[in-house]
Amino acid sequence: MAFINIQNLTYQYPTSKAPVLKNINLQIEQGEFVAIVGPNGAGKSTLCYALSGFVPHFFKGELSGSIEVAGRQSSQSTLSEWVLNVGLAFQNPFNQISGAKYTVFEEVAFGLENMGVPRTEMQVRVEAALQLTGIADLAQRSPYSLSGGQQQRVALTSILVMRPKLLVLDEPTSQLDPIGAREVFNTIRNMAKDGTTIVLVEHKVEWIANFADRVVALKAGQVLLEGKPSEALTSDLLAEQGFGLSRYTSTAREAKKQGLWKKDTLPVTLDEAVEGFKQ
Amino acid sequence: MYVARASGLHQLHPLTKVLTALCLLIAGLTLPGNWTSYCITLLIVFPLSAWGKVFPNLLHIVWIVSLPFAISVLLIQSLFWGAGTPIFEFWLFAPKVEGARYALISLGKIILVMSSFLLFSLTTRPDALMIALKQAGMPSSIAYIIVTTLQIVPSFQRKGATILDAQRSRGLETEGNLWVRARALVPIVLPLALGSLMEVEERAIAIEARAFNSHKAETSLIEIPDTQFQKNFRTVTLVAMPLLMIFGILWRL
Repeated sequence: MAFINIQNLTYQYPTSKAPVLKNINLQIEQGEFVAIVGPNGAGKSTLCYALSGFVPHFFKGELSGSIEVAGRQSSQSTLSEWVLNVGLAFQNPFNQISGAKYTVFEEVAFGLENMGVPRTEMQVRVEAALQLTGIADLAQRSPYSLSGGQQQRVALTSILVMRPKLLVLDEPTSQLDPIGAREVFNTIRNMAKDGTTIVLVEHKVEWIANFADRVVALKAGQVLLEGKPSEALTSDLLAEQGFGLSRYTSTAREAKKQGLWKKDTLPVTLDEAVEGFKQ
Repeated sequence: MYVARASGLHQLHPLTKVLTALCLLIAGLTLPGNWTSYCITLLIVFPLSAWGKVFPNLLHIVWIVSLPFAISVLLIQSLFWGAGTPIFEFWLFAPKVEGARYALISLGKIILVMSSFLLFSLTTRPDALMIALKQAGMPSSIAYIIVTTLQIVPSFQRKGATILDAQRSRGLETEGNLWVRARALVPIVLPLALGSLMEVEERAIAIEARAFNSHKAETSLIEIPDTQFQKNFRTVTLVAMPLLMIFGILWRL
């Protein structure tokens, strides 16, 4: 039995005229790192909200089918129970700061306070989480005095410290510069190494190729294709649809048409492209 | 707004400071005498802020905020006061002593309200206040709203400045006569208000994701020291506040 089991999921927001997710079927194993790609309006964020329990518990609307994580059905849990197992971080780091804490250390402890974790254990867990995400030096800073990349790492740490079994990340690097994005991706990689199951929505396909175990492409609320990053992100289907391709894949695809790319497989990352063109 | 300092005032329990500030406020607004609010501000609030090592910060904010208000109130009240003793006469203008006096009395009350609030907010950490309110039996959601509302002022200022710059870069005139400035308010305030409303949903999701509505008994990372003396003092202020209000009403009858 898969760790995450989504069966025939169809969902429509109360204010939308048509379903945003249509008959989604998806199975994800424990410890797997799955990246979701797709154009705007494909339903990526809604799928994140569905996995993290906010659809339908927070947004209401009409949902059919089932979402199961770690053997528990979303429909049979309350949101407050569900978030103890599933963490969510999203695009805007500023809005993820609680606004009620004075230092980063206390901000990270906010979730643990709500979970009723004893003070001594809380301190140990916060220190460990800050170390893992590489922001121990920010512990005594105000969360509002940090850069966007630092705030995003604080947001991630604040979820990580709660030790969720599943971490859902909706474009966590969309507002960051390359250095900030690298910081966040390194943090996610550390979490994945630690055994956390990760579902990541991301447009930076080169990064996905480096980190993810599997790619799921969504379009118009449906699963278009899924597979290993090296296969999915170079597929003809994505090329036809015009999304999810790195600049290296597109370049090599054009080069192949003119006989300048000799390899059977197309590259996703710069290193793969350099190696291929050398041949 | 909190300013970290090593002071006795900072060490006090947040509720002691809230109730003290409220008590001073009520005393200034209800006790008889036109200049009572000034006396309380000068003799109690300012010395307390000096004890808390935040007197310059408090004075700076009071000055910045109250100056435009003081000028407008003085002008309006003195120029448009009915019959009275003119301070001077020039063309159509004859500001009255009584109007200026009334404006100064009103200003004293405004300064007391501001400085009492600042005395508390400059020396109290928001998280400590939230924990103290919850320990006093207030529901978490209400305590959170109170604390984040206090925190939102600097955030609003930052966003307002960003919107102002953006609108200026698109040619909005923000300087000039009163009419030009009033017209500029709409394209600044509207995006600020709408943007804030949209943020509310994301912030609600973010704190929900951090088990805010978990039904488990909450714990706290920081410990808030309290003493029996402070507990007794808070009881006294709680009794004093309604008594002050009753006294003020009876005095005016």
